Amino acid sequence: MERFVDLAVSAILLAGLYATMAYGLGLIYGVLRVVNLAHGGVIMAGAYLGWVLHGSLGIDPYLSIPLVVLLSFGLGMAMYRVLVRHLPRGAAGGPASLLLLFGVWLVLRNVAYLLFTGNDQAIRTSYSTRSLLVLGTHVSVNRLAVLVIALVTPALLQLLLRHSHVGRAIRAVAQNADSCTLVGVDVERIYTLTFGIGTALAGLAGLLSATIFSFNPGFGSGELLKSFVVVVLGGLGSVLGTGVAALVLAVVEVFAILVLPSYLTSAVGFVMLVLVLVFRPGGLFGHRVLG
Amino acid sequence: MSLRWPEIVPPRAALAFAAGVVALAVAPWVLGLSPYSHNLVTLAFLMVSGALAWNWMGGFVGQVSFGHAAMFGLGGFVAARVLLAAPELPAPLAWIAGGLVAGLFALGAHPTLRLRGPYFSIATIGVGEAARLVFTYWEDFTGGSSGLSLPIDSDMKYRLYWWGLGLMALVAAASFLIRRSTLGLQLLAIKADVDAAADVGVSATFYQDLVFCLSGAVVGVSGGLWASYFSFIEPNDMFGFDRSIGFVLMTVIGGVGTVFGPVLGAIVFVLLRQFLLASYPQLYLGLYGLLLIFIILFEPLGLTGLLLRLSRPLRRWADRPAAAPSP
Repeated sequence: MERFVDLAVSAILLAGLYATMAYGLGLIYGVLRVVNLAHGGVIMAGAYLGWVLHGSLGIDPYLSIPLVVLLSFGLGMAMYRVLVRHLPRGAAGGPASLLLLFGVWLVLRNVAYLLFTGNDQAIRTSYSTRSLLVLGTHVSVNRLAVLVIALVTPALLQLLLRHSHVGRAIRAVAQNADSCTLVGVDVERIYTLTFGIGTALAGLAGLLSATIFSFNPGFGSGELLKSFVVVVLGGLGSVLGTGVAALVLAVVEVFAILVLPSYLTSAVGFVMLVLVLVFRPGGLFGHRVLG
Repeated sequence: MSLRWPEIVPPRAALAFAAGVVALAVAPWVLGLSPYSHNLVTLAFLMVSGALAWNWMGGFVGQVSFGHAAMFGLGGFVAARVLLAAPELPAPLAWIAGGLVAGLFALGAHPTLRLRGPYFSIATIGVGEAARLVFTYWEDFTGGSSGLSLPIDSDMKYRLYWWGLGLMALVAAASFLIRRSTLGLQLLAIKADVDAAADVGVSATFYQDLVFCLSGAVVGVSGGLWASYFSFIEPNDMFGFDRSIGFVLMTVIGGVGTVFGPVLGAIVFVLLRQFLLASYPQLYLGLYGLLLIFIILFEPLGLTGLLLRLSRPLRRWADRPAAAPSP
């Protein structure tokens, strides 16, 4: 029973991180219909950014959140303006955008490798090893903080999308870009902003992961696939769906430890990805993601 | 009933192809290839075969797979296990066995084939990575992280040049025939519009299964040859994501969907890789990334497109009016 509570608590904490990873991928896909394969690379970049800010400037990883988010936002807008904008849209753009963004990912990985070598790194703070007693189990302070941020982020995102002018424009463009041009919405500007916001969320997710896990330039490929599981399972445009899907993935992954050798638990995410795509392509709640 | 020359094969193309294969077959004796070049050319043969087969799925059908390493690795390990269990068996039988198993594995991926575009690609990443983890864990079959050693002597290793050439010639001819045949047109129809293809009676499900199975089998055979050539294989390398990426890069660099683009791309890839790993190993990934970005943005048909573009003025010059007025 105690073990069960342990696992359940760690699943909930993990779910917060997974949901944060997935928002950016889902937002970009929902509005631009582009699968951002560079997502994993940006997660990795966010992790290194936090590491550098903490290591050389001594900024606490949680205080560096605004800076990391801002820088990732800029990176995303630049990626859109310089590269993604020129891609053919629609069905013909599918493989092209996939390959292009994959190229971006390879470049990001290489840059990280050149700057920071291939060694594993981690952000260690004075409170890294501290833990609190929750529901009778010890929970690291970092994981709790990540969960809190993971709960605040979707609330802010929801606020932005539902109640701001820009957010309404983003949702309108996602529904019908042509009509938006007719009523005077600058669609290209909205695309640029959306790509920036999506990338900023990936950077944030990277920073949060860096406080919990160690990372290297290859970090992010597993995170990309997990984000994809969550996006497909949760359906588009539903913050709640994303949260539930993240919880499902985290619970399955964490409880797999009970029945599988520890080495194979990382395969669970990949298998789930394929199963979800094949059997529930419409998501848990029937919001159809696939066109 | 008499045998007729198939109309889809121009005699001149067939002649040029045969001449090329013969030239490559005698090259080691005529040119006296150094062991280094012999090695490089053999690897190029295997990579060209793999890229050509990947292109059937990624180019002809338009389903970009990021998981071909699963078939490559499976072919390699099945061939290795067969050779280890029965060393007296001729090696080609072991390679064919590897190819068959890899082809069956690809058939097993049937459920993912109803996914299109990015969803298929992402699912193949999942299949590939899951295969890598499972086969690394399955030590009884793959030897785990410590890998397997194959009973291959240096003589066999030398002769793999011609086996590799044979495989490549076969796969290249098959690519050409597929492209020129009704099957090629059917695949093109599926690539352009699945629903429209279904309306005219081209079942995407059937042809994708067929092509994915064939593509997987060929990649499996090349994996088997690869395993024999190195006589030591390790699952994290054979099933590695980098290997799947390799097939994608080779084909995209050369020209996705064209017949001989993958040949060109694989040769450039192998040479560039050799050069980069020797001189600038730290730039290896990024350079391929940049290449990918530039190709997608400026020349979607890769090197083939570039050559076509360059040859256009040349051809115009060759076709100039014979009696040009001289000044």
